[in-house]
Amino acid sequence: MDDKNASQHPNYVQVFLTFARNSLVRDMMFRTNFIIEAISSLSWALMNVGFYWIVFEHTPSIGADTGWGKYEFFIFMATTWIINSIVQAFFMPNSEEFSEMIRTGGLDFVLLKPIDTQFLVSLRKVHWSSLSNFLLGMGLLVLSINELQDRPTAPWKLTPSIVGLYAVYCACGVAILYSLMTCLASTSVWLGRNQTLYDFWFYITNFSRYPMEIYRRGWGIVLWVVFTFIVPVLLVVNVPARILAQPLADNTSWRWPLAMFTIFAAIISVLISRWVFQRSLLAYRSASS
Amino acid sequence: MVIPSSTNVGNPSPVGDFPARDQRAISNCQSVAVGDLLPPTERRTDQQRPAAYNPASMAIIEIENLTKTYRVYQKREGLKAAIAGLFHREHREVYAVRGINLQVEQGEFVAFLGPNGAGKTTTLKLLSGVIYPTSGSARVMGFVPWERDNEYRRRFALVMGQKNQLWWDLPAQESFRLHQQIYRIPPTEFTRRLDELSDLLQVRPLLGRPVRELSLGERMKMELIAALLHSPEVLFLDEPTIGLDVVAQHNIQQFLKFYQQERRITILLTSHYMKDVAALCKRVVVITDGRIHFDGSLDQIIDSFSGNRIVRLQLAEGQTADGLSMLAEVESVELPRVTLRCARSDVTRVLARILERYQIVDISIEDPPLEEIIAKLFQDAPAGRNDVAEVEVGR
Repeated sequence: MDDKNASQHPNYVQVFLTFARNSLVRDMMFRTNFIIEAISSLSWALMNVGFYWIVFEHTPSIGADTGWGKYEFFIFMATTWIINSIVQAFFMPNSEEFSEMIRTGGLDFVLLKPIDTQFLVSLRKVHWSSLSNFLLGMGLLVLSINELQDRPTAPWKLTPSIVGLYAVYCACGVAILYSLMTCLASTSVWLGRNQTLYDFWFYITNFSRYPMEIYRRGWGIVLWVVFTFIVPVLLVVNVPARILAQPLADNTSWRWPLAMFTIFAAIISVLISRWVFQRSLLAYRSASS
Repeated sequence: MVIPSSTNVGNPSPVGDFPARDQRAISNCQSVAVGDLLPPTERRTDQQRPAAYNPASMAIIEIENLTKTYRVYQKREGLKAAIAGLFHREHREVYAVRGINLQVEQGEFVAFLGPNGAGKTTTLKLLSGVIYPTSGSARVMGFVPWERDNEYRRRFALVMGQKNQLWWDLPAQESFRLHQQIYRIPPTEFTRRLDELSDLLQVRPLLGRPVRELSLGERMKMELIAALLHSPEVLFLDEPTIGLDVVAQHNIQQFLKFYQQERRITILLTSHYMKDVAALCKRVVVITDGRIHFDGSLDQIIDSFSGNRIVRLQLAEGQTADGLSMLAEVESVELPRVTLRCARSDVTRVLARILERYQIVDISIEDPPLEEIIAKLFQDAPAGRNDVAEVEVGR
C-alpha cells in the first residue's frame, strides 16, 4: 500500500481548527445573517443587564446577608454569559445537529471516519456569532471588577490564583453543561425524534442563572439538592462566579467542599456523557435511504 | 452516436448491429468463467478474529449468516387506537437481512441487485460498521466492521448516492482538506491524488465552488473524490448514479471501471440501473427479501432466468407481417420492422422458417431486456414478507 502513515492518528487540534475555520468561512458567506445573530443575542444580554439594573434600584442585594450586591451579581451574570456563549458557540449547534443526524441517518458518515466519534460529533461546527456574548461578558466582568475594587465591607481582592481558579471552574461549568447536552441529544436514538431538546435545555439551565442562596429557603432546598447533586447545573455558574465576586469575602465553611465537589461533578458528568453517547451509538439504526 | 436505450444490454447476436459501447460492456461480462465467480463453499468455521488479514488465503469480505432485524412499532388506524398505543404498543420484528452468506475476493467488482427494501443497503451499512447485526458475523480485510476500528475505517469507504457528506455551503476542496487531516494523508500524496481524481472526473474547475451550487452529477463526482482520497482498498457504493442523467451516469461508470481496474480495489455496488451493472460488474448477487437469491455472472442470470429471445426483423419492401404470428409471438409490427419473441430452444427452427418464407433485409437476435429478466427474478423469489415474527411488547 502506498499509505505509509496508515497507523497515525489524526491531530485533533488541527482537525478542530479546520472545523472552526470552515465554520467561519461559512458564516462570512452569509454575513448579514451573522451580524443579525450577533446583534440579537447582544440585545438580549443588554436587556438583561437593564432589567437587573432596575431590580437593584429596589434592593441593595439579592437575599438578606448573602453578599450578592449589584456588581457581585453582575459578575455572576457575566459568568453566565461567558459560559453559555462558549457552550452555544462550540457545542449547541453540534448537539442539535447530532439529534438531527440520528433522525435522518446523516450519522452514517460520521461513523465511517477514523477519528473519535464523540469528538467529531461534538465539535464539527462552531457558531461564531454566539461568541459576541463572550465579549460582552468580558466587558461586564471588567466593569464590575473595577467597581468592586474599593468595596467598603469585606475587602475584595484579585490575585493571579483567583483568575486561574476562575478559568478552571468556568471550564468545569462548560464541561457539565456539555455533558448534559450530549446526554439529552443522545436520547434521540431511543426517542426517534427529540425536538424538545432546546426547550428542555432552557428549563434546566434556567435554574443555574441565579446564586444558589435563593434556593436555600422553604421547599427550594429540594431544588438545591437536585440541581447540585443530581443534575449539577447549579454548580456551573455559581462556583466560578463565587470565586471571583467573593460575596461576604467568601468565608463560608462549605466553600472548599463545594469547589472539590465541582471538579468531581465535572469529571463524572463527562464520563457519564461518554457512556450515554456510546450506548446511543450501539442503538443507532440509521435511516433507510 | 446515438446513446442506446438503457434496456438493450442483452447478448447481441452476430447478425445484429449493436452499439459499440454495449459490445464492450457485454464482452466484459462474458470474459469470465462462471465457475470462477461462485463463492467457494464454506471453509472457515472458527469464530476467532484472525491475527492479521492474509490476502493470499482469505477472501477480503467474508459474511456468515448475517442477520439484521428491526423492531418496529405497529401503528393502528384511528384516534382510539392511537391513544391505546400510548399505553400499550405492539411491536413486530422486521427482517432487513436474514442470514446472508457471501465471500468476495480481493479485486472483485460485485453488484447487489434487488428490489427496494430487499436488504442491499442494510448489508452495506453492516459491512461499513454503521449498524450492528442482530446475529451472524462478517469480516472485511480481517476486521469486524461494527467494532469500528480506526485502522479499518482508514482502509475502506462508503458512498451513498442519496446522502452527501460534503459541507453544503463550502467548496468541496474545504471538505477534502478536512479529510486529509482526519485520514492523515501526507500533503504531497493528497495533492497528487486530488489532482489525479479531479482530472479523471473532470471537475478541477469546480473544486472552489460551493457544493450547493453544483449539479447532482458534479456533486456525486465530488463525493467519489472525498471517498477515494485516502485510497481505500474496499469501496462500498450505494446507488452512486441515482437520479443522474445518462451522460453523468456514463461518466461515473467509466471512471469507476477505470479506477477499479487500475487499482484492483474491491468494490460492492448497489444500483437499480442495469447499465451500471452490465458495464461494471462481472459478478451479480441478487438479494430479495433479505436473502441471497442468486450469485453468479450476469450471463448466467440471462441463461437461467430468461427462456425467451427477442428476434428483430427488417422485412424487404412489399412484405407484410401476415402469418408471422403462426411462427412466434409477435411483440410489435411497425413495417418494415417486426419484433418477435420465441423460446430459446425454438430460435433456430423459427429463423429457418422465416428465411424460407419471407424476404428479410436484416435480422438480430437479442436477449430480452435485462430489466425484464431481473424483474422476473425478483418476482420469482420466495415471498417471505409474511413470516415476520409478531411480538407484543408493552411500553
